[in-house]
Amino acid sequence: MANHQGTIFEEQAEVLAHITHPGDQFVMRVKAPKTAAKAKPGQFVHLRVSDERALRRPISIMLTDPERGTVDLLYKAIGEGTRLLSERKVGDTIPMLGPIGEPFDLSDTSKRYILIGGGVGIPPMIFAADHLYGRGGDCVVFAGSEVEFPFALKPSATLLPGVNGNAILAIRSLEEREVPSRLASNAGLYGCYEGHVPNLARDYLAALSDEERKRCVLLSCGPHPMLHAVARVGREFDLPTFLSLEEHMACGIGGCAGCVVKTVENGEEKYRRVCVDGPVFPAELLPEFA
Amino acid sequence: MSNSPDLSVSFAGLTLQTPLVLLSGCVGFGEEYTRVEGWDNRNIGAVILKGTTLEPRMGNAPHRVYETPSGMLNAIGLQNPGARYVVENILPNLPHEQTQFWANANGTSPEEYAEVARIFEDSPVTAIEINISCPNVKEGGVHFGNDPRMAARVVEAMRPHTSKPLITKLSPNSADIAETARLVIEAGSDGLSVINTLVGMAVDIESRKPVINNISGGLSGPCIKPVALWKIHQTRAVAAKHNIPILGQGGITNAKDAVEFAVVGADAIGIGTGLFYDPLMCGKLLDGLSDYLNRHNLGSYTELVGSLVTNKA
Repeated sequence: MANHQGTIFEEQAEVLAHITHPGDQFVMRVKAPKTAAKAKPGQFVHLRVSDERALRRPISIMLTDPERGTVDLLYKAIGEGTRLLSERKVGDTIPMLGPIGEPFDLSDTSKRYILIGGGVGIPPMIFAADHLYGRGGDCVVFAGSEVEFPFALKPSATLLPGVNGNAILAIRSLEEREVPSRLASNAGLYGCYEGHVPNLARDYLAALSDEERKRCVLLSCGPHPMLHAVARVGREFDLPTFLSLEEHMACGIGGCAGCVVKTVENGEEKYRRVCVDGPVFPAELLPEFA
Repeated sequence: MSNSPDLSVSFAGLTLQTPLVLLSGCVGFGEEYTRVEGWDNRNIGAVILKGTTLEPRMGNAPHRVYETPSGMLNAIGLQNPGARYVVENILPNLPHEQTQFWANANGTSPEEYAEVARIFEDSPVTAIEINISCPNVKEGGVHFGNDPRMAARVVEAMRPHTSKPLITKLSPNSADIAETARLVIEAGSDGLSVINTLVGMAVDIESRKPVINNISGGLSGPCIKPVALWKIHQTRAVAAKHNIPILGQGGITNAKDAVEFAVVGADAIGIGTGLFYDPLMCGKLLDGLSDYLNRHNLGSYTELVGSLVTNKA
């Protein structure tokens, strides 16, 4: 515990850009130099959306620029809190706690990280891919959405094993760095795999040689039904699988034990805090996904 | 007038460096908030540790928390590793030179409360808060708090097992809080915590299920502040008669709130849900409190306590 002292910063984050995308999606860039300098993929920030609201809102980090001191966030306005957040204008400041949580372990350079994100679970995958790219790591991104993707897309120049040729679109920022990515949707979006994103990832994994597949680690964030499907894919191919979870959250720093998830560790049931024990957990510890 | 009024307070025989007391259940076992850069335990008079039972408890299934207008519901269910674990593995690592730590004792019978008191007696906690008003467990908790005689029995059972100050946390849900206060003081309580959360619920209209898995939860935050002030006002007369201090709490988020509580009779100020608004609120609150005391030519926080001006006798 002691080594966590002073690792979370309370910053008055200035909104530098706030862009509306279809499906009530918003991309927000804020100036928060301390968080930008320290954040790791899988971590989140806890935003005070309004002076009138008792609880902050946890939003996962999509990208940071440590040099410019900026943090990019993607969220959907689905409840009252996120709707209030969506009303913030460029130039406003938002009290922001961050970075929070145990990040994804991306340290093993012998691995290929299969990053599977759905909806507002896509941002940590973008962040992880950016982090791995900068360190010469190996990864593939699969992103699913039922509304238009909130970032620029472009046709991919590379083929991915097992992936239907019609699924040609990739995330432009990743494609330009030669990080392979593909998209899935049930909404008939052009250039996307038609179906759920875990199935797209499964097709890819099934087409790999045993040798290649054994190097893969699954990292995922998204809605629970999607995480269930990812956990099934992980079990089918016997691959290490890590899931990033969310839960109603109060303090965001481990003080209240409000945001728990049940784990089974060495046969013992426990409730772990999503905020600081997670949000990333090995799927094998989570009975809900076992 | 000095520019730094005296913010230290004496409470149940203890000297607190400031009137601010962090409330049980909001600050884990005392170290979690040190994660926040700029956190300073020296702003804090005492930290009340998470509610502790004799045996470990897993707590309730999620959802455990939910935001409500100007507040929140919680039903954590006293997740804790048991009193012996806390004494042996947690308390030795806390920075007792920076602030005081108080235990928060819970049980399902007076005997269990007594055993928890005995375990904390041999520990560096400087006081024990008695939680007879937790609304979120099936046995014990608020059932003791709503019955003044049961509440007194819990205090009586604990009293012989500890020399530390016992501070009884009163429920706003009881019919007559002043009567409960009188009985627990006569049973040996050295201080009162007023108030615990109110019991409430919320419904998800799509699924028509209660949002909180426990169905009901404890309501806290600014929405309960007027209730807390009134309950302190009701308790103040009986407490003052016995020279028993009140730890006032319920929706305090800034210095103005704290002054209101002091004026009504809070010898110390409890901070809980306010930390979720702003984890660094304590330093700001103390600055605002000092400004207020200076502006009103008061040399200390204590001079403010119970200074309510009323037309009624």
